[in-house]
Amino acid sequence: MTPSAGPATEERVPRWRPAGRAAQLRVLTARQIRLVYADRRVVLFSVAQPVVMLLLISQVFGSLADRSILPRGVSYIEFLLPALLVTTGIGTSQSAGVGLVRDMEGGMVRRFRVLPLSLPMVLVARSIADLTRSGMQLLVLVVAGHLLFGYRAGGGAVGLVAALALSTVVIWSLIWIFIALAAWLRKVEVLSSIGFFVSFPLMFASSAFVPVDVLPGWLAAVATVNPVSHAVEASRSLALGGQVGSEVTAALCAALGLMAAMTVLAARAVRRPPDE
Amino acid sequence: MAVDQVIRATGLRKRFGAVQALDGVDLTVARGEIMGLLGHNGAGKTTLVNVLSTLTPPTSGTASVAGFDVAGRPDEVRRRIGVTGQFAALDEELSGHDNLVLVARLCGASKAQAAGRADELLEAFGLRAAAGRRAATYSGGMRRRLDLALGLVGRPDVLFLDEPSVGLDLPSRLGLWERVQGLARDGTAVLLTTQYLEEADRLADRITVLGAGRVLASGTAVELKARAGSGSISLRVGPQGDRTVAAEALGRAGFPSDVDDGRGELTVPAGDSADLAVVIRVLDAVGQNVTEIRYAEPSLDDVYLAFTATAPDAPAPAAAALDRPPAPAPARAAPRITLPEAERRTGDTPETP
Ligand SMILES: Nc1ncnc2c1ncn2[C@@H]1O[C@H](COP(=O)(O)OP(=O)(O)OP(=O)(O)O)[C@@H](O)[C@H]1O
Ligand SMILES: [Mg+2]
Repeated sequence: MTPSAGPATEERVPRWRPAGRAAQLRVLTARQIRLVYADRRVVLFSVAQPVVMLLLISQVFGSLADRSILPRGVSYIEFLLPALLVTTGIGTSQSAGVGLVRDMEGGMVRRFRVLPLSLPMVLVARSIADLTRSGMQLLVLVVAGHLLFGYRAGGGAVGLVAALALSTVVIWSLIWIFIALAAWLRKVEVLSSIGFFVSFPLMFASSAFVPVDVLPGWLAAVATVNPVSHAVEASRSLALGGQVGSEVTAALCAALGLMAAMTVLAARAVRRPPDE
Repeated sequence: MAVDQVIRATGLRKRFGAVQALDGVDLTVARGEIMGLLGHNGAGKTTLVNVLSTLTPPTSGTASVAGFDVAGRPDEVRRRIGVTGQFAALDEELSGHDNLVLVARLCGASKAQAAGRADELLEAFGLRAAAGRRAATYSGGMRRRLDLALGLVGRPDVLFLDEPSVGLDLPSRLGLWERVQGLARDGTAVLLTTQYLEEADRLADRITVLGAGRVLASGTAVELKARAGSGSISLRVGPQGDRTVAAEALGRAGFPSDVDDGRGELTVPAGDSADLAVVIRVLDAVGQNVTEIRYAEPSLDDVYLAFTATAPDAPAPAAAALDRPPAPAPARAAPRITLPEAERRTGDTPETP
């Protein structure tokens, strides 16, 4: 401000009516997308990450996995790739949580708390922004599978698209786990140390990399209740083609149930005052 | 008249674990009024602003802002307030312009309105040249200005400014003062905390002094100065005069004086400027002719020190004085307040209303 700004008399302009939920979400999502894609390097490496997973896991486990334990006529890459569509989302979810904590540490979210807006919308916006990044990862994964291993979905384009859509919904629910954790914990260090205990079991105590029946009993039990297992089974059956059964319903129910619970927790968490 | 009180707090308490940050604060601020909030570090100023701006709920007590209860109807309150807190609340990754547009859009502006409002405020706060740069690249004062601008985007009825002029250069500070006064003239109520007593003196219609979460004193600057105690008279006697004789005569007349040999001056506390004549008469009677005499009103510094000295865990006034940024040299001579005197005054500090 300079003295030359003239007499500081503001005429009373009628105040705007606060933005509705939909408008808030649009504005906030645009902001989160800018944050998520702010650094090209981060985007590049996070999109390349699932390709590394695909390469390593297919080579490490693929060489060990006995073809006889896989469903008949299914190659390990056909078994693995639909699972990676789901498990890739676990890493993304974790970084969504970290991103949210960082955002909440910054000043703007503090300002949001004194603006007429619904704070949970900030979280929804974050989840959408990170979901777009996940979407890119999924596409890159499918393309890499095709180029590197000649992957073709047995279920054809329809099966593949269905698997991608289902994975996206599931990843959205996984993102919400970490958004809820982030909104409660509000510290990156705490979030990442606790995040490990959430993400590793989600990923490995599942049917993602080997069929459940070859796991030891206790782990098989964990794997059967793991929502990621349901999602992986569903994604696999859609991508492989053949008859699609109850897996898809189970996966969707698990994902939506999880998401409902997490959004409620997250909405409560984010409303907690910042200094307590 | 009562409807004009747009901030109304009664018995506000806020506890953080073992710390009672607010301990029963009553406060009212009327439409168009600027209320200055003073107090030592940790007195509870920011906590009070946070409670009133719906950022944090009170532990007990009630407060309404712009006619709505801060705990019960925070959304209605948020529509009507603007906040610039002690710490910048902006988006480092966005440009100054985009920060303003974002907040305007959330306040309900259309794209065009938001852009217009952003330009207006960038201009007013001298940020036009930096409008397109990321806020992360701003200097401290520029960030502060952007933060102030962000608080005004929604044309608030009630404005909270927590140490707004920290880090601002002189032109920016003067510009801010002018703008705040303009807003108040147009009916905005302003609650402003500050450590710059000159700022409170210039801007505030009324001043509240907080200490350890309590209101120690409240009133206009003039009232507080009157209540905080006396002004002072400084004088010099002629070359043939004798300061000791003069001091004794003044002492007998009820003006305990303080001799400053270095400057060759005598200083006596005085109720008001009418005492000037009395002092001259007393000295005349003992043959001391006065060559120079002046009366100084108590400054807000004295008020501050006098009232905060009563706070239970307030740092000693001397230490507090070190914490203060150097005040611009006042036009009038500041009266000298000695410590015992300040302590004596604590006895008759008026009760808080
Ligand atoms: N989140 C918190 N947790 C614990 N104590 C707190 C918290 N916030 C404030 N306090 C304590 O409450 C008291 C009042 O703090 P507050 O920030 O309101 O002071 P202030 O008057 O704004 O001080 P300053 O002039 O330094 O800005 C201090 O003792 C502070 O330590
Ligand atoms: Mg403070």
